[in-house]
Amino acid sequence: MTQEFGDDLRLLGRRGLLGGVAAASFAPSLVRAAVPEVVMCNWGGDAMKAFNDAFVGPYATSTGGKLVLDGSGPTNGKIRAMVEAKNVSWDLCDSGVTGLAELATRNLLAPIDYTVVDKSKVEPAFAYEYGVCNYMFSSVMAWDTTRVKGTPTMADFFDLKKIPGKRMIRKDSQAMIEMALVADGVPIDKLYPMDVDRAIAKFQTIKDSILTWDTGAQSQSLLRDGEVSMGWLWHTRATLLKREPNSKIDWNFTGGVLQPGLWVVPKGNPAGKQAMMAIASMQDPANQVKLLSALGNGPANPKAAPLVPEDLRSIDPGYPSNAAVQSLINADWYHDNHGKTFKRFLDFLSA
Amino acid sequence: MNSGAYRWFPIPALLLLVLAYLVPLSQVLMISVTDPELGLGNYALLVTSPSIARVLATTARICVITATAALVLGYVVAYCMTQARPAVRRLMLVGVLLPLWVSVLARSFAWVTLLRREGVVNSVLMGAGLIQSPLPLMWNEFGVSVGMIHTMLPYAILPMASHMRGLDPALMAAARGMGASRAQAFRRVFLPLSLPGVIGAGVLVLIFSLGFYVTPVLLGGGRVRMVAEYISLQIQELLQWGTGTMLATALIAAIGLLLFLLSRAVGLRALSGAR
Repeated sequence: MTQEFGDDLRLLGRRGLLGGVAAASFAPSLVRAAVPEVVMCNWGGDAMKAFNDAFVGPYATSTGGKLVLDGSGPTNGKIRAMVEAKNVSWDLCDSGVTGLAELATRNLLAPIDYTVVDKSKVEPAFAYEYGVCNYMFSSVMAWDTTRVKGTPTMADFFDLKKIPGKRMIRKDSQAMIEMALVADGVPIDKLYPMDVDRAIAKFQTIKDSILTWDTGAQSQSLLRDGEVSMGWLWHTRATLLKREPNSKIDWNFTGGVLQPGLWVVPKGNPAGKQAMMAIASMQDPANQVKLLSALGNGPANPKAAPLVPEDLRSIDPGYPSNAAVQSLINADWYHDNHGKTFKRFLDFLSA
Repeated sequence: MNSGAYRWFPIPALLLLVLAYLVPLSQVLMISVTDPELGLGNYALLVTSPSIARVLATTARICVITATAALVLGYVVAYCMTQARPAVRRLMLVGVLLPLWVSVLARSFAWVTLLRREGVVNSVLMGAGLIQSPLPLMWNEFGVSVGMIHTMLPYAILPMASHMRGLDPALMAAARGMGASRAQAFRRVFLPLSLPGVIGAGVLVLIFSLGFYVTPVLLGGGRVRMVAEYISLQIQELLQWGTGTMLATALIAAIGLLLFLLSRAVGLRALSGAR
């Protein structure tokens, strides 16, 4: 199974798991009966402490309600099982564009209520009927500076003569198809509807040199260990690689794909409409910047940009100058095409 | 012994088996013929889908390679164990059992360290001047097979050793006494007698190998796709539960068939060493 971006945050570390649980229980107990508690499911690990620090306290202050974190990982399969059994225990799930595509097409999600959630506090391209941006992340190109001179272009990724060595991509079609098309000369604002045949043909030219990663940690070690000379990975992992002592890895946002982490609400969620209140409370830009500094997850609210400290601007995927050089993922296209594209991509890799 | 209260003793275990195993299993079977619609459409994919055919072929090929290699390597170890002095045998047994207590994940990562481009094996070979450029030892079926054979060796060795220890040493002595050479005595007496153990171990290894997930994912580099990973993808990500449960059911049927053939070939009693 391919790892979700949110799942990656679990593997960044294990600290803070207990902190999140402990702090969550400090919410005022008197109002608990009036406001149903909202259970937010993410992928555990470092994200537990970071989400707790950024959002749980402010939510309790502003609504008097309680936000409970569950780090057990909201896979599409688990959400479907819960909804179909009519035994849903999560109100908010940390999902993404492909999760939205599989879940919404099967009628497993509740629509986002934009009378409660403020559409003006989110990048317009990332506010969907059944999911709304919770944070941003990017798929970017990184390279080994001992083997690549200067700053490579996206096209160089496919030029094995100019830059020898293997290439690393994610074992997922999401963002990889986009980046292959950009490398092949498609402008970043003219990607959709995507020509999947063209992207696969592009990958075919370097097929024997492709290695894939499943987990974020794996993407780091392939680059760090010199297994590959260039790779496409999440910007959070590229950031960590570059920060390592004596790092030989560099990266940039150019030609990358800006993607949303999405809140989705399983149909029949226990807290009902209160889930929308929780999403609205988490739209505060200052709190979103806290998430950026803790995890590298970019703020979903465009109004956060002026609040981003100078030293974090270069790693904030949605920061205007960074967003300008990337493509924006198109959820509508994934809604109709994700399943077959993903299968096609995996068939190509294992053929 | 079989009278009175004793006969009720297996009931809790039986109940547990029915509730925790047979009930969910029948649900899996149900989903495979009802999702997305009633019928055998999912099973038709076994013959109509090229990608499923390829996944199954890869799985079968790697399982056969793994089982064959594990049997050959394991046979030598099992034979040495039966011939060794008791103290040495105990030591060997510990050596065989120890890896079983290390997680498959840790062992797969250890293989990554050994086999990767700048890994231990390639560094030593290049340092010694035996090769000019790194050998492709992993991110392919070779790497996956190495990792799986390593994991499966104890499962090959233990049943074979247990079966070999049950063989009467006097038969070998008699063969030698009647003029057979060591090689002849081994080939014409010991080897045929040890075959049920070999078949049993082979089936056991095949069955375990069919469900491998972590090793192919970590050592295959996305290039080697086996059925367990494919099932997980269908269930957890693509929500094609019909396809996933169909493959799971087919896997169980394949294992059932293997066990049936095994029981016809050697009898399950012979395997456990019971006589």
